[in-house]
Amino acid sequence: MKRTAFLILLTVTAISKVSAQGHGPLYGLQTPTLAKGGFDFNVAAMSLATEDDQSFMLRYIWSYGVTEDLQINITTPTMVNRLSEAPRTRGNNNMPANGDIEASVWYRFFSNAFGVGKRFESTAILSVSTPTKESRGGINVSNSIHGAISTGYASRTWYAWVGGGYQYYFEEGNDQLGDLPYASLVVGYRPNIFMGDYPKPDWRVFVESLAEFPGTSTSEGQLIPIDQRGKKVMIGPSFLGLYGAWGISFGALFPLYQDITQGPKEEYRLSMNISYWL
Amino acid sequence: MKRLGIIALLTIFSLSGVMAQLIKVDQEVFGMDCAPCAYGLERGLKKMDGLEKVQVSLNDGKAYLKLASDNKLTLQKIQEEVRNNGFSAKNAEVTIVGQLVKNENAWQVNVNGETFIVSSDTPSEIVKSLNTGKIKLKVFVKDKEDNHLNGTWDIRIVEVLKS
Repeated sequence: MKRTAFLILLTVTAISKVSAQGHGPLYGLQTPTLAKGGFDFNVAAMSLATEDDQSFMLRYIWSYGVTEDLQINITTPTMVNRLSEAPRTRGNNNMPANGDIEASVWYRFFSNAFGVGKRFESTAILSVSTPTKESRGGINVSNSIHGAISTGYASRTWYAWVGGGYQYYFEEGNDQLGDLPYASLVVGYRPNIFMGDYPKPDWRVFVESLAEFPGTSTSEGQLIPIDQRGKKVMIGPSFLGLYGAWGISFGALFPLYQDITQGPKEEYRLSMNISYWL
Repeated sequence: MKRLGIIALLTIFSLSGVMAQLIKVDQEVFGMDCAPCAYGLERGLKKMDGLEKVQVSLNDGKAYLKLASDNKLTLQKIQEEVRNNGFSAKNAEVTIVGQLVKNENAWQVNVNGETFIVSSDTPSEIVKSLNTGKIKLKVFVKDKEDNHLNGTWDIRIVEVLKS
């Protein structure tokens, strides 16, 4: 079995062309898609801390560029520590923050490369998720769907992306997790000292922000009157370093605003991601 | 004697056909903004047959290609590879060897099935010096829409290297 998996990986590697993009922010929505035939593997370590507890999770993401505008992804988690009362949020645009397995399609429906190193583009994301644990915060968890759209500008110096998304959980055993509309804004900058030409390392810094508006969950067919999960605005820095086929990004988000009336407040989110373009 | 003449003529024609090729291509690329972008494009180009050296510059926004002798590579294939990586291929500075012919008052060079049509903005002193036959040129290839590549290019001759 191991040998078969290894052979499949080798075959995929052999038929894949090296990809290009996938070099955006850590938390916020972005637009770049892989090259046609491109293959990308990511490992991410994520943590989310509340006043009471802290979660730890590893995630693996495999991505493939069907065309230069169409990318498919699948991500699986290894949960090290789950929160008993996990906030309803997403890890980033192709990662759930909880223990769900997720498959997604990215479609870059608009792209205008209008200068050397400059482009303006828009991407739509559609995902389906399935939970790895039956309940979350005492509510039965079902499969969910997620859709998002983002648009942005990339250059050799400045980056900016704005977008919004929506996650909807289906009913499970008379319970239903509330939905999750969210918005994302990212601004990035590459200082002059990091403007060295390829193949020198390439660094950039982002300021990322997320606004999350989780809906009310249903338990045994009844809306939960006081939801433990409130609206939040998170903001924080992230850093991205790229060298050849490798990329590393790390960053944190901190609450700028949260209106949680009951339950532990969120303190911070940490994340680190390593990418390899096969 | 007649037979020998035909063989010699055929040999000359076949040789000139083999020699028609791209020698050097400096391809302008729009939209490439990161190291993995450059890495991916460089690796993609290196997988094409007929290339001797490939260098991609992020800051210049260009792919510098030196082609192998007797290559069959076309500018269309190069630009398609750029597009497959999610970028836009724009103008190019190209050195070509090919057959220069005059077709309906327009000069054109045929290389590996592609046609390079000399445009009216080529300096008149260069145009006046042109003669049909094998020629080596340094040319500026004008941008074409990525979705409408058909192997026909408008060029401005920068320099006649050998005629």
